[in-house]
Amino acid sequence: MTDVKSEDTKKKTGWSRRDVLKATSAGAAAGATPMFFTQNAWAEEAIGNYPVKGSEVVLGFNVPQTGAYADEGADELRAYKLAVKHLNNGGGMLDTLKPSKLTGNGILGKKVTYVTGDTQTNADASRTSARRMIERDKVIMVTGGSSSGIAIAQQYLCNELGIIFMCGLTHSNDTTGKDKQRYGFRHFFNAHMTGKALSPVLSKEYGKDRRAFHLTADYSWGHTQQESMQEFTEKEGWSTAGNIMTPLKTTDFSSYLSQVLNSDADVLILNHYGANMVNSLTNAVNFGMRDMQKNGKNLEIVVPLYSRLMAKGAGSANIDGVLGTSGWNWALQDEGSQVFVKSFTDEYGFPPSQAAHTCYVQTLLYANACEMAGTFYPPEVIKALEDFKFTGAGNGETLYRGSDHQCIKDILVMQGKSPSARTSEFDYLKIVDQVDAATVDYDPAIFGGELGPYIPA
Amino acid sequence: MDMTLNAFTLSILTGLQLGSIYVLIALGLTLIFGTLGVVNFAHGALYLIAIYLAVSINNAFGFTYALIIVPPLLFVIGVLLERGLIQRFYDRPHTDQILVTFGLAIVIQELLKWVFGANNIPFAIPGWGNGILFLHEYLPFLEGFVVYPKWRMILVAVSIVTVAAVFALLHLTRFGLVIRAGMRDAEMLQFLGVNINRRFMVVFGLGAMIAGIAGVFGGPVTQVSPEVGMGLLVPSFLVVVIGGMGSLGGAVLAGVLIGMAQSFTAPYINANTIIIYLITVVVLLVRPRGLLGSKGVFE
Repeated sequence: MTDVKSEDTKKKTGWSRRDVLKATSAGAAAGATPMFFTQNAWAEEAIGNYPVKGSEVVLGFNVPQTGAYADEGADELRAYKLAVKHLNNGGGMLDTLKPSKLTGNGILGKKVTYVTGDTQTNADASRTSARRMIERDKVIMVTGGSSSGIAIAQQYLCNELGIIFMCGLTHSNDTTGKDKQRYGFRHFFNAHMTGKALSPVLSKEYGKDRRAFHLTADYSWGHTQQESMQEFTEKEGWSTAGNIMTPLKTTDFSSYLSQVLNSDADVLILNHYGANMVNSLTNAVNFGMRDMQKNGKNLEIVVPLYSRLMAKGAGSANIDGVLGTSGWNWALQDEGSQVFVKSFTDEYGFPPSQAAHTCYVQTLLYANACEMAGTFYPPEVIKALEDFKFTGAGNGETLYRGSDHQCIKDILVMQGKSPSARTSEFDYLKIVDQVDAATVDYDPAIFGGELGPYIPA
Repeated sequence: MDMTLNAFTLSILTGLQLGSIYVLIALGLTLIFGTLGVVNFAHGALYLIAIYLAVSINNAFGFTYALIIVPPLLFVIGVLLERGLIQRFYDRPHTDQILVTFGLAIVIQELLKWVFGANNIPFAIPGWGNGILFLHEYLPFLEGFVVYPKWRMILVAVSIVTVAAVFALLHLTRFGLVIRAGMRDAEMLQFLGVNINRRFMVVFGLGAMIAGIAGVFGGPVTQVSPEVGMGLLVPSFLVVVIGGMGSLGGAVLAGVLIGMAQSFTAPYINANTIIIYLITVVVLLVRPRGLLGSKGVFE
């Protein structure tokens, strides 16, 4: 009876116990088959705050809201908010960035929101703030920083926690050199590129027979900036009279300037940034160094890394004629720059700084990489960013170099404008030269360092 | 770097000039401590208020107005501060005084940053003080071309005059006599019927006024940004400690000593960074009351 019943059952449903078992085994085997047999598939293990849950994705903007770089941080934050607005609603560089998969509908269909943190221009504070964003606010990406020491500290932390870090304003060679990380990316240029772009202009302007004295901020950026300036000015035939490291918190540089006065140098190179540069340059002017002659030549002052905010702090009478470099300037006429300047000015009433530019672009590039990868899964997003070539973001054709995560792009040689040459309250610097990407390119191997694995240990 | 006579002279001048700022700030600090027994960590913030007032008035109306308005205004601010806040902490432990004044310093710093921004505000030196002095024209032993900014020499002179005025006030006037007596034994003075509290209020105002003078003349040297106050507070406080808590002469001596030490170690970053702390440690080990400190004070 039983057999007959069983036979009947099989006929009715078409399934036997054995069939079910077979099907289950086959299903299990298929499920266990590694995904790499399928094109563009990835092992969807949890990394950092991936997978992103819910209908929103959170970005972490960690900028100096207090401390010496607070003004730059405030401008970075403005740029980030604008980037979020454009990512969610379209507009800005979404119209000029090419190639781009950004639609103005968030990232991968999720609405972009953000949290902010204060780095206080302090490595410990920046790490604490980044960790809070990652662990409490579940950000998928952290970006910001306005100092190389801070950027490097955050980059290490983010790499460890599997969170992509898109560097803000950081110019040290170390960020994408000896301290480079798989999860860290820098759009801003670096000290090496500054040296390479600026030195030929210096020798053309001031001659090949010059003797330079360096005053250098005593931290990662200052050190690499000094090395690069020394290397490239010496290649132009200059010699180096001396270098003094100055503590970062110095406000009165007279003791260092006395040493410069007492040397036989006829060029003073100020490897200082932000308030440091404002103070050292102003002090040097007070010491009469802009009107002095040494070795039968006019004593010249050079500021390798320039920003509009610094120029404003130093005052245009003091920066008149002084040469340096910038990553970007609001006066650039290309389509990407113009569209960014217009939307920023419409939103806030004044043009953006170079810090704002790099932060805005970094946010868009990250979002675009997610769209290209079709996922927030960090290793795939990283691969989408690596060796990504793009235009329409304000620096000509740009390569996000895969081997060190450094953007290779055009940079600007700038010169301070005299008070009478200024056309507006934001007009402090004029573009002397746009040095193309090929000229400032270099072999990433010279700085050593390892990117490390795609999946954090 | 070889130390030539030129270099030595420049280093001496730089040391004097660095010391001048420290002395001006430390003078107020030590005056307030010596009389009121309050460790005023907000003193750097008073200097900060002074430089922001000075740069605003200077850029709008000219330096003379800044010079006339800022020091008396700081006196008033000092008096208000003493009446409104500090006097409530006279009988409280030193830790409470430090916490409240330090907190006040942070509040003032952040308020100024909120109003003026974190960036530097250029402080133009008035025409008569601008430019450089050709030292080789005055000092025949110097070889070749040796120059120094005129303004920094003026700052040294202002510092000397201020120190002399404070000494004269304390040692040549009746007011000074009462204050010095109050520094020794405030209780006894009160028994004698002297309203010491009112005089202490004036002393606090005086300390703030010296910060005002420092701000007007020091602003173009230290520059005007919110970090300046805290940056100067630590060295100035160490100047007070090295000189001896409450000792005016000690503050002057220690200020010049620290300035010189910083000037002469300038080429060597490691020594330059630690030198003031090193001097503090050595002085306190050898002479716990400070160079010219009175016996029993903070020993």
